[in-house]
Order: sequence, then C-alpha cells, then structure tokens
Amino acid sequence: MMIFTLIRNELFKIFSYWRTYMSYFFILLLVPLFFWGFSVGGSNIERQLTNAMGNHFLMVGKLVNAFTVAYFVLNFLWIHIPFLIALVGGDVLAGEEAAGTYRVYLTRPVSRWKIFLSKSIATLLYTLSVILFLGIMSIGVGAIWMGLGDLVVLQDGILVLPAGTAAIRFALAYGLSFLNMSLVATLAIFFSAMVKNAVGPVIGTMAIVIIFFAISSLPLDFFETIRPFFFTTYFDSWTKAFYDPIPWDYLWLSTWTALLHIALFLGGAFLIFKRKDILS
Amino acid sequence: MNNSTQLAIQTEGLTKHFGAIHALQDVSLQVPNGTIFGFLGPNGAGKSTLIRVLTGLIHASAGHFAILGRRSKHNFHLRRGIGALVDRADFYKQLSGYHNLEMLARLSGHNKPSHLNDILHQVGLYSRRHDKVKTYSQGMKQRLGLGQALLGDPKLLILDEPTTGLDPIGMVEIRDFIRKIAEEREATIFLSSHLLHEVEELCTHIGLIFSGELVAQGSIEALFQHMGEITLDLDVTPTAVAEKFLQNHDLVKSCEQTATTLRISILYENVPELLRQLARQDVNIFSASQKNRLEAFFLAQAEGK
Repeated sequence: MMIFTLIRNELFKIFSYWRTYMSYFFILLLVPLFFWGFSVGGSNIERQLTNAMGNHFLMVGKLVNAFTVAYFVLNFLWIHIPFLIALVGGDVLAGEEAAGTYRVYLTRPVSRWKIFLSKSIATLLYTLSVILFLGIMSIGVGAIWMGLGDLVVLQDGILVLPAGTAAIRFALAYGLSFLNMSLVATLAIFFSAMVKNAVGPVIGTMAIVIIFFAISSLPLDFFETIRPFFFTTYFDSWTKAFYDPIPWDYLWLSTWTALLHIALFLGGAFLIFKRKDILS
Repeated sequence: MNNSTQLAIQTEGLTKHFGAIHALQDVSLQVPNGTIFGFLGPNGAGKSTLIRVLTGLIHASAGHFAILGRRSKHNFHLRRGIGALVDRADFYKQLSGYHNLEMLARLSGHNKPSHLNDILHQVGLYSRRHDKVKTYSQGMKQRLGLGQALLGDPKLLILDEPTTGLDPIGMVEIRDFIRKIAEEREATIFLSSHLLHEVEELCTHIGLIFSGELVAQGSIEALFQHMGEITLDLDVTPTAVAEKFLQNHDLVKSCEQTATTLRISILYENVPELLRQLARQDVNIFSASQKNRLEAFFLAQAEGK
C-alpha cells in the first residue's frame, strides 16, 4: 500500500520540523492561561450573570465551567490557528523545492499524483490533530480543572445548553472547525504549489483570510452582495453549532462551500504540481 | 526503437523549451548497457536538462525516451531500476542520514535495515548514520546522494556532475567510488560533467552536447580515431637525432622542443607508423603521450559548432 507509506513519510517530515509543534505549544500555553484566568476572575462573571438573570431564573450550579472556557477558546479559530496551520500547509510543497529535496524525492519510482495526495492527506491529518488537541485541552483538561456544567451562550439573548447537549454541540463545532481549517490548509497548499519558498504561501493564505474577513464585515451594499461568495463568510459556522434550534441549512451551506473550496484548491494545486518543472 | 534491450538509455528527438530558450533540441542519444557514459558539455549546454527529463523532474516539450528497454506514458514507471543523483545532493537536514535513506528506500520498497546499513557502509557514512544531515560536509552529503542512488541495486545510475562542490580529495573519493560501483555491480553509469579529465578518467563512452544539440556520441576510442590532428609529447633520446628526423618527416605537421619532450602535431591515424619509423632510427622512445585527448576532441567539436 504505497499511499500509506507515502503518508507515513510525509507525516515523518512534517513532525520533524519544530514549527509543526508551535500550534501545540500555543494551545498548551494559552488554554491553561484561559482556565487560570477564568478560575481567578470567573466568580465575577458568574456574579454578574447571576445578578442579571437572578430575577427571572433560578440559578443552580456553576455557570463558569470547562464548557464556558472551551467556548471562548474556540475564538482562536478566527486568526491564530489558521496562521499556525498555514505555516505547515504553506511549506508542504514549496519547502521541498526551496530545500532542493525534490531532486531526490521525485526521482523515485512514484507518481506525482500519489506524492501530492500523500502530502495533502498528511497536512489534513495534522490539521485534524490540532483541532483534536484543542478539544482535548479545552474540554478534557478543563473538565479536570473546573468540572463540566451547563453552557450559557450569549447569542441574540441568553441560551442555556444542558451539559449533555453542550458536549454534542462541541463535537459539532469541532467538526465544522476542522472543515474550515482544512480549507485554510488547502489554500496554503495551493499557494505552496505555485512558489519556491514557504514564506509566500503563509503570507498569501493569511492575507486572503484577513482581507476576505475585512471585506465581509464592511456594511456596504456592494460587499453585502458578494459576501456569500467568500469562503470566510462561513468561518463562523462553529458558532452556529451552539444555536437553538441549530440552523442546519446554514451549516450544510457552509459545509458544501468549504468542501467545494477544498476541492478547488487541491485540484488547482495538483495541476500546478503535476506540470511543474523542478529546476532548483 | 531498435536494439532497445542493448541500450540503457535511448532518446528520440527529445526537445525542451523554456519559453524562447531551446534547452534541448532534437536530442537522439544512445547509451549502451554496461558502459560508463560521460555526458559532456559546457555550462548551460543542456546536460542537466536532459538528466532532469530522464529522471522525471521536468517534462519534455517533444520527443520520447526509453530507459532499460522500457517506454511508458507514465515516466515514473521508467524510474524503476534506476538510481539518480541530480545536481548537488540535498536532503532533509533535520533528519539523520539513516532516516533520509530509509524514507527514500520506502518509496521503492527496499527499506530493509540490512540493505540500508550495507549502503551506508559502502559510502563510508555508517559511523555517522544517526547524525543529522545538517552536520554533514558537502562531501558527505554527496556520498549520501550516491548512497540513495544505489537503493534497490539499480541497473542504471544517472549522476549529474557528482563531484560538483567537492575538494580534490572528495573528487577522487567519488570517482573511485563510481569506478567501484561500475565494476562490482555491472551497472550502466550515465555521468554528466564539464570536467574533461574526470570523464576521460572514468568513461568508456561519451556524448557531447552544445547549446542543446548533441554533436557527437560513441565510444571514446572510436571517436578519437576520427579526431584528425592531435598533439603528441615524445620523451625520447637522443633528442637531437629524433628532432632532426621528425622535422623532416612528411607525416609530422610541426615539431618543437619543450623543456622535457618533443611536441609534434600529427594525424591520429599516422601515430603508429611514425613511432615505428622513429624506433628504427635508433631513438629510444620512453613515452608517447597525447595530453588532454578529450580536451582536444572537445575543443575541435566546439569549433565545429
């Protein structure tokens, strides 16, 4: 099974660079910091919520728990985690060309299609591992640190999700996040196929993400019209996982949009990679 | 293609354009099995381009080729049974020499530790196998490059300027190693170089490329037989007798005395006859050497272009 061998090689390469571990270090450092912050200042937040809602609701249990913090931590998915994923995705093709290692790797009896596929799968597996690590650190470690409880979501009003439901919603949110981060990874791979150094793809990917976000948020008629066509428009899909009822139509639209873009970016990257002359 | 089974490499009308630049023009090359074939040309002549086409790194604009008698639409199939070192050897610097080799070996299914260690022994890197490649000298990287080319015991080795960037000791080591591989493995070696003495020292056959065009190919001896006038250095005594004889001889175009020899210009095919006649003049012939035969041939071809 050559493809598994190739994926193994690519994962071996990806995890041999220290920059690969930056995302884990980032999560390892910042998530506990969030928990610490909430455990120190959480009583204030809890008091404010109790004061605001206490007249209308009977408040029982802890309002600030692992789910609350995990919900805030998910905001890393806007910029920070995409950047860390682009660091790896942007290097996956261009890095080899810059280092001259294609001259030994591509002269082996393996088709470029399989090499490209293995690199893409390895990058997506890395992306998955980052999202899983985020989930484990946020909810797993959080559960030990603060315990679990109901999740209070402030979204056009106050929504309280029971702990059991919140867990399912988090699973859905992480799934949608993986899809969105895969889109970022494949955009980085697309840029990576076009150039000969890894810096360009990282900057290019982040520039696209930030510019699209900026344009999407401008309250002008023209931008409102083109907004649905930007993939960044659907980057908020994870937040919708915590709505009640869940807006499934929107989530399906965001899922198909992400899958279509992933296919487009990977298809484009493969065509470039396949026809590429290795001159370095 | 005829005789394809006797040929390790056969190209037909191979052409490569980079925009307006014609890197290869209608190259039809034949590399016989079991030879050490030197592919010569000045910098930018198209040597590396041809090698990159053969190894699948770049795509030909036109023409086709066969390797070890096989032709394929998907040229990665052709890379089975060949080992290649293209240009300077670059590896994953953050990995050890062993891990680099192991990763590449997996791609051709020859990743048994015993095979890898055997290769590391052969290229003299066994004791440094667990060190990261970033700690290797260029010579060591080049040897590791040769090592990866040997994975799976290839029948054809394609080496693109394998001594580039090496110091004189490193160059000698690599040349000795190539010679050893050719002898022990009975593999065909296709070697590009712009170092004429290197090719003359190592190769049985040569091909010459200028500005993307193949201008000559064949065995060195056969090509030299058609090279016309050559310069010969004669170490003889008594010098005065020999000089007088040579200056008046019809076969000799010119004769001059250097510090230690008599240097004559003569047609290549007339050399044996002249030496026979010279010996009959009671002249002791200690040596008759043609300095830089290949250089002379190369320059003659370059002038012809």
